[in-house]
Amino acid sequence: MRLFVQAVILGLLAGGVYALMASGLTLAFGIMRVINVAQGVMIILGAYLSYTLFTRFSIDPFLSVLIVVPVVFVLGVVIELIFIRPLRPSDRESLSLLVTWAVALGIEGVLGLVYSTTYRSTIPSYANGSWRIGGFVILQVQVYAFAFSVVILTLLGLVLAKTRFGRAVRGTVQNPASAALLGVDERRVAAIGFGLSVATAAAAGAVYGVVTPFNPGSHYDLISLLLTIIVLGGMGSLPGTVVAAMLMGVSQALLATYISPTSAKLTFFILLIAILVVRPQGLFGAVERGKL
Amino acid sequence: MRTISRSGVAVTVAIVAGLVAFPFVFQANWVVNIAVFTMMYAGLATAWNLLGGYSGYISLGNAAFFGVGAYAIANLFPTSGGPPGATPFLIVPLVGLAVAILSLPIGWIAFRTRGVTFAIVTISLLFVAQTLAFLLHSFTKGSQGMGVGVPLFPVETYERPFYLALLAIFVFAVLLCWYVRRSKLGLALFAIRDDEDRALGLGVDTEVAKLLTFAMSLGITAMIGGVWAYYITYIYPQFAVDPLVTIGMVLMVYLGGRGTLWGPLLGALLLVPAQQLLAQNATTARWYLILYSGVFLLVILLLPRGIIPSVQDLASRLRAGRHRGTSPPEAAVPPVQTEAVP
Amino acid sequence: MAHGRGGLLVTVLAAGFLAACSSSSGASSSSSVSGSASTEPIVIGISLSQTGDFSDPGKAAERGYQLWADTVNANGGILGRQVQLKIADDASDPNQAVTNYENFITKDHVDLVFGPFSTLLSVPSAQIANRNHFAFVEPAGGGPDMFAAKLPNVFFVQPAPVLACGDPFVNWVLSLPADQRPKTAAYVSLDDPFASPIADAMQAKFEAAGIQTVYRTIYPPETTNFTPIVSAAAAKNPDMWVGGTQSDDAYGQVKSMISLNFNPKFLYLSNGASSPVEFPSKVGANNVNGIFSCGDWFPNSNASGNQDFINAYTTKYGGDAFGIDSTSAEAYAVGQLIQAVAAKTGSIDNQTIIDTLHTGTWPTVEGNLSWDQYGMPQGSDMLVEWIDQKLLPVYPPDVAQQAPVYPKPNWGG
Repeated sequence: MRLFVQAVILGLLAGGVYALMASGLTLAFGIMRVINVAQGVMIILGAYLSYTLFTRFSIDPFLSVLIVVPVVFVLGVVIELIFIRPLRPSDRESLSLLVTWAVALGIEGVLGLVYSTTYRSTIPSYANGSWRIGGFVILQVQVYAFAFSVVILTLLGLVLAKTRFGRAVRGTVQNPASAALLGVDERRVAAIGFGLSVATAAAAGAVYGVVTPFNPGSHYDLISLLLTIIVLGGMGSLPGTVVAAMLMGVSQALLATYISPTSAKLTFFILLIAILVVRPQGLFGAVERGKL
Repeated sequence: MRTISRSGVAVTVAIVAGLVAFPFVFQANWVVNIAVFTMMYAGLATAWNLLGGYSGYISLGNAAFFGVGAYAIANLFPTSGGPPGATPFLIVPLVGLAVAILSLPIGWIAFRTRGVTFAIVTISLLFVAQTLAFLLHSFTKGSQGMGVGVPLFPVETYERPFYLALLAIFVFAVLLCWYVRRSKLGLALFAIRDDEDRALGLGVDTEVAKLLTFAMSLGITAMIGGVWAYYITYIYPQFAVDPLVTIGMVLMVYLGGRGTLWGPLLGALLLVPAQQLLAQNATTARWYLILYSGVFLLVILLLPRGIIPSVQDLASRLRAGRHRGTSPPEAAVPPVQTEAVP
Repeated sequence: MAHGRGGLLVTVLAAGFLAACSSSSGASSSSSVSGSASTEPIVIGISLSQTGDFSDPGKAAERGYQLWADTVNANGGILGRQVQLKIADDASDPNQAVTNYENFITKDHVDLVFGPFSTLLSVPSAQIANRNHFAFVEPAGGGPDMFAAKLPNVFFVQPAPVLACGDPFVNWVLSLPADQRPKTAAYVSLDDPFASPIADAMQAKFEAAGIQTVYRTIYPPETTNFTPIVSAAAAKNPDMWVGGTQSDDAYGQVKSMISLNFNPKFLYLSNGASSPVEFPSKVGANNVNGIFSCGDWFPNSNASGNQDFINAYTTKYGGDAFGIDSTSAEAYAVGQLIQAVAAKTGSIDNQTIIDTLHTGTWPTVEGNLSWDQYGMPQGSDMLVEWIDQKLLPVYPPDVAQQAPVYPKPNWGG
């Protein structure tokens, strides 16, 4: 029983971070019907930036987010303008997949050049610290990362719900034609939306780098996980993504504990198959467009 | 249905004859070695084109089946079995058939989704296959890798049998593509590519069309994987199931021209030797991924239909300019819809 | 006919490709195949992983090879000829490694080839060397598949094959009086050809000697969260913990043990704990004492030419002896062997190298080496232990600089 609860706790903590990572992915799809395969590499980029800020300037990784997020936001906007905007709307879904995969490779290549393929870890003083609560061992950084993710996700949710930009985004997601008629500048929404989606990924990356060693090739594992999460949750649905992420985190932890760490890697696939057979649009997805 | 054109056949015969003659004319081992890898990718790209080019369904999981074929051969012809000679080449088609049949249930699940979700499912397939390659020790020996029996081909022409085997598979793939294009299956696939719902409405059996094409495409991919395993003599999960192999074949198809017959070969002829050249030079080698990514982006953004269709367009425009008033000749393949559909 | 036009384009391009091939296939480097008497340089082809997964050890190997070449050239070369290394990147990809060696041997007509990094690349490369009757002296391909290939031209330049890495530890533990030996053991390993097989081999020997296995698991590569794995094993309270590891997972296992406050009486990690600088920096310098590991080369070993190697290395690359990756020493030893054959036989013909190295013992910075007919080395690695925050060889007695300390002191002590 104790092992079970420990696994569930660990799974939820991990799931929170996954939710943050995947939120941008589902956002990008909802707004622009773009599958950003580079989301994984953006997380790693965030991890590397925060690693550098920590090792060179002793800036705590959680604080480094203040620098990392704006930088990656700008990068995201630039990528959208140069590589995604030129794609014709009818092609955009499938071509965006290939284009963003190519961008991901390019960024992986740059990171490999700059940092080499050695695994890195951001190790602040509290990195190994843990708490024993009622017999369960919980790593401090996992809790901090979870709390951080909750904060950012809440902020994201507030932006979408309360701000004018947020309303424009939601309008575009639900019905781009009407949104345009109502004066929403679709192109601005796309650019800023994409920038936001990768910036949240980088923020997640900054704290991910404390919990997990990473190298430029780590993005493959991440992206496969995240793609499954958004399909599971229903592409374009933010609440769906959060639920799916939690489900993924807990399932992985349970499988790792009870069967083996290796089979935990297959969790995402098992869940995906199950969902596809039963409900191809995902938990919260509508059959056509998603609702944020 | 269109009639077989004389010039089409002539060109095909010329190309195939040239490819067959190649290793007999240029016998240097290192040249044939590069030709082996080129032909491998030409086959992979052509097989991908069958589904991706004709139906528009982008499968990013082909490398998974490449790996299955590779491990099948490694299991059938392990190092401990001694030199296998030409037998693996004869067994490979059976492996392809088996994989084609096994792919049907996987395809059935995958085709419950459409468009980009389908692509995501195939990506997941790829990663799962790689993980399984690490996990299923009884079939793959995990990260230890598996040794394949080494043949006793004469050293001066060692690479040639492999080249010819891969050439045979490539030619088979091209013939299959050519046949499909002209058949009802091809019409169904083009209809699916243009508008799947309308095709359904018109009574096209989209499920069967997609599954059949999926199976053929992956069966060929597995055959190539099998020959590769035999050539390299030692395989392990990271490279038997490698995302870059998928990206490579997709890039070659896009470069050459999606939906065209010879586009994939063109893409392979351009990219494989270029890659070799880059690797030789220490400076460019470090930029390998970045250059790959750059080429891919350039192709998709600037030349989205690929070289052959773009050249065809250019030629048509020139001809239309010369024969004012005559409408330009129809392209052999309905062009990929890249204009916004109202 | 459009498809004809496409085909025509392909034909034209193919013709161009052929033309390019034929023009460069005529080119070859000037050196002759069998190193006949001349002052032409000895060209040695080496495929190295300068990019990709193996880029760190690949670069370390490159440093070792280059250092050897510079040293030997400064002393007049080999048989009066200067050594010239021809290095190509294989991006840690076996397809590229195969192409590189094909190019070296059949296009560039190099005199010799040296091995790349890792068994995974060495096995296919050795086949190419073998069918062209080239010797394949290699620093880093010591996995069982290398020897299962039964190639007569292969020489693995380390004291023992990889799987035998744990033998010194096993021998030492079993040499202890029965009441001081561990009774129970856990085996926690990485799914990697150089990690879990070592632990498996050790497990077989320990079980045969009556040490009970209470837990065994193998985790996938790129595992980063070790807490569930370690806590499950620690729950069985083993006396001895054997980790078949590489580097990052070794650090991960230790860090998890520290945070779970689990301290086994005997802790052995096949890799990772043998890094003199990395290990303490990753797990904390005051957490290393009492941990055992294995290794083929250490800065303070007194193997032949080691001191000269270290001096030359630090002069050329800076830093100190403890920052040297053992892969550089392994690569250097490859060169030493060629030199030794040349000195003994007056020739560096490939067949001569193959015949000569198969008999006798050869001194190198890796120790005194000898091989069986398929290239498997016949010596043994060293058991090392962290004592007073220094990594020292402790077994077998003839190489030990101190007696082993046991049981393991607590973390932070």
